[in-house]
Amino acid sequence: MNKDEFIAELFDGMQELDEERIMKAVEGAVGSGVSFEEAVNDGLARGIRKIGDRFETGELFLPHLVMAGDLMDAAVEKLSGILSHEGETVSSSGTVIIGTVKDDIHEIGKNIVALMLRVSGFKVIDVGVDVPISGFISAAESNNAQIIGTSALLTTTQFEQRRLVEQLESQGMRDKYKILVGGGQVTESWREKIGADGYGKDANAAVRVAIDLVKE
Amino acid sequence: MNGLKLEVLSQQEIREICDGALAILEDVGVEIFEQQAMEILVRDGAILEEGRIRLPAKLVRDSLDQVPPQFSLHARNPNNDVVVGGGSPLIEPMIGRINVIDLDTGEKRRTSIDDVAGLIKLADALSNYHVLHSGAVMPRIEGVPEGMAHVHGYIESVSNSSKVIKGSGRGRQVAEDCITMASILMDKRIEDLAQNPPLFTTINVISPLRHDRAQTEGLMTYARHGIPVEITSEPQMGATSPVTFAGTLIQQTAEVLSGIVLAQRVNPGTPVIFGTCAAAMDLRNGLIALGGVEGALINVAHAQIAQHFGVPSRGTGSNTDSKVLDVQAGYEKAITLMMTVAAGNDIIFYPGTIEHALTIDYRSLLIDNEICGMALRAARGIDVNEQTKAVELIKETALKGNYLGKKHTVMNMNKELFFVELTDRDTREDWMDKGGRALDEIAAERVKEILRTHKPDPLPEGVHQELISFQREVEQRQRSAAESE
Repeated sequence: MNKDEFIAELFDGMQELDEERIMKAVEGAVGSGVSFEEAVNDGLARGIRKIGDRFETGELFLPHLVMAGDLMDAAVEKLSGILSHEGETVSSSGTVIIGTVKDDIHEIGKNIVALMLRVSGFKVIDVGVDVPISGFISAAESNNAQIIGTSALLTTTQFEQRRLVEQLESQGMRDKYKILVGGGQVTESWREKIGADGYGKDANAAVRVAIDLVKE
Repeated sequence: MNGLKLEVLSQQEIREICDGALAILEDVGVEIFEQQAMEILVRDGAILEEGRIRLPAKLVRDSLDQVPPQFSLHARNPNNDVVVGGGSPLIEPMIGRINVIDLDTGEKRRTSIDDVAGLIKLADALSNYHVLHSGAVMPRIEGVPEGMAHVHGYIESVSNSSKVIKGSGRGRQVAEDCITMASILMDKRIEDLAQNPPLFTTINVISPLRHDRAQTEGLMTYARHGIPVEITSEPQMGATSPVTFAGTLIQQTAEVLSGIVLAQRVNPGTPVIFGTCAAAMDLRNGLIALGGVEGALINVAHAQIAQHFGVPSRGTGSNTDSKVLDVQAGYEKAITLMMTVAAGNDIIFYPGTIEHALTIDYRSLLIDNEICGMALRAARGIDVNEQTKAVELIKETALKGNYLGKKHTVMNMNKELFFVELTDRDTREDWMDKGGRALDEIAAERVKEILRTHKPDPLPEGVHQELISFQREVEQRQRSAAESE
């Protein structure tokens, strides 16, 4: 397989969500002359964006999207053991820290947003559920993130979103990060009230807002 | 007479589901984000491993043996007392949601304390609603200070209805407050409430297999006082539970059982209700498909599983994802309600809601009362005896006239037929003469009339004053807490 064929194989394998096909192709990476960056960006990431497009049009469903995300992770991991690369070579739209706030352990909505962000080219650090404010901030610091996204399903835990804004302000770090908020009862007026930067009424909207925020 | 009985699982299949649930509890267990709950369970034989509480089958079975198969809930007007698990489905409309449709403008807005009063008053007037969700369970009510919603919500609710009113189980202190207010309402000591509980609560397990801190505290608080707790699992098929019905039932059963075990370990004999509000996730948009047929089917199996364990059950009905009272709302509500009622769930929750049960619509509350009336009539089934067979009557009447003027008709019609109050069965001409309006418009007018004319049983002398005194105490407590922070 030459380089173009190899990249096409990864792209097509992603369209078919065919793990076996992708993994088999990856094993032959060295002989194809492809670089790690090309394999990831032109093969896998381009493939997953196409999956995202097919989801948008209603052809594919959420489970396909999740599978594609997992498949990409597995393929990148395997490639990284085969081809040489240095640090952050995968191009990304930006880094997002995402998690569910303290005392709230709902995660499905947050997971969907995380997934859609990844499909759209963001590097996503998912810090999980029941995350204290310090957890969001330290993850943002250590990953040089541009965006911190917090999810709160419960109206009682929504106040944590406000506390994050306040905490960043008091530490003099408010301008370092864009703050994205979401969750069952979160609204645009809540975002405005607490002084966050963006609100996504659903996963797709969250991605659009995130893209706008990193452009600013 | 046999009432309507819808079943979807064979006895063998029920056993397989239950065995699956027991295996999940024993091998995987649940996560509980509350230290004391974990300690109590471990004390009684559960195994703490990698942060999860594994429950041996024997512990689960022993706990189930302690659950009362039925119990009463006592209203401040004894005519409104109900038996949970007594064979007649009880309908619990939803009241306390963050959003409401404004009766005048038709626009969605935040629910205020006046809405709580109005919705409760309306539900008080409607005969097919038996126990009432309330303002007490709302984490926030527009215009009410933070941390006070359960108090204002409870007081406004009991002031506008003498039916059984639900309390909140979100956190230990909130639960204690609701129980205290119920004791004031009934003029009883808290320790005497368990004999004739005047309230109950719901706690939701977070799928998959997790109990959060606040609700676990609530569960333990109600259980300590011997007050009934509805333990409800709310998985979304394909996302927070397997996409298959059998898999979802196994996980959901395990989730509810874990809560039941905790309640029984805290206080053996605590009345519990085996709850579900399962539905599929819409795998296109990631939102819950509450009006879908999947949840309705789960409700049927769920009732069978609860009956197998001998525990009263709660399901959902009158669900819709529609934003307006349109054809979609009609068919989703009818299908979900009819199936859960026909299955024999003991409490049926969600009438009054639209939009994934996030929003309450006054008109929906009124219309759903009529749908519930129809469903409850169907559930009663068909009475076959000499009187109803009417063979002699047919012989003497059939060939020479009709049954309209017969004494038999007059004597039996109220029992046999369901008389609608809202549903339109006019001729087109008559309907046009009356304005040619759709049901939602008529419902809005009727709601306003009920709100203007209905007089709930007044609170006993002095009770309102005592409740307000308690409200002041809670306000003081909140202020002290805020100052010490």
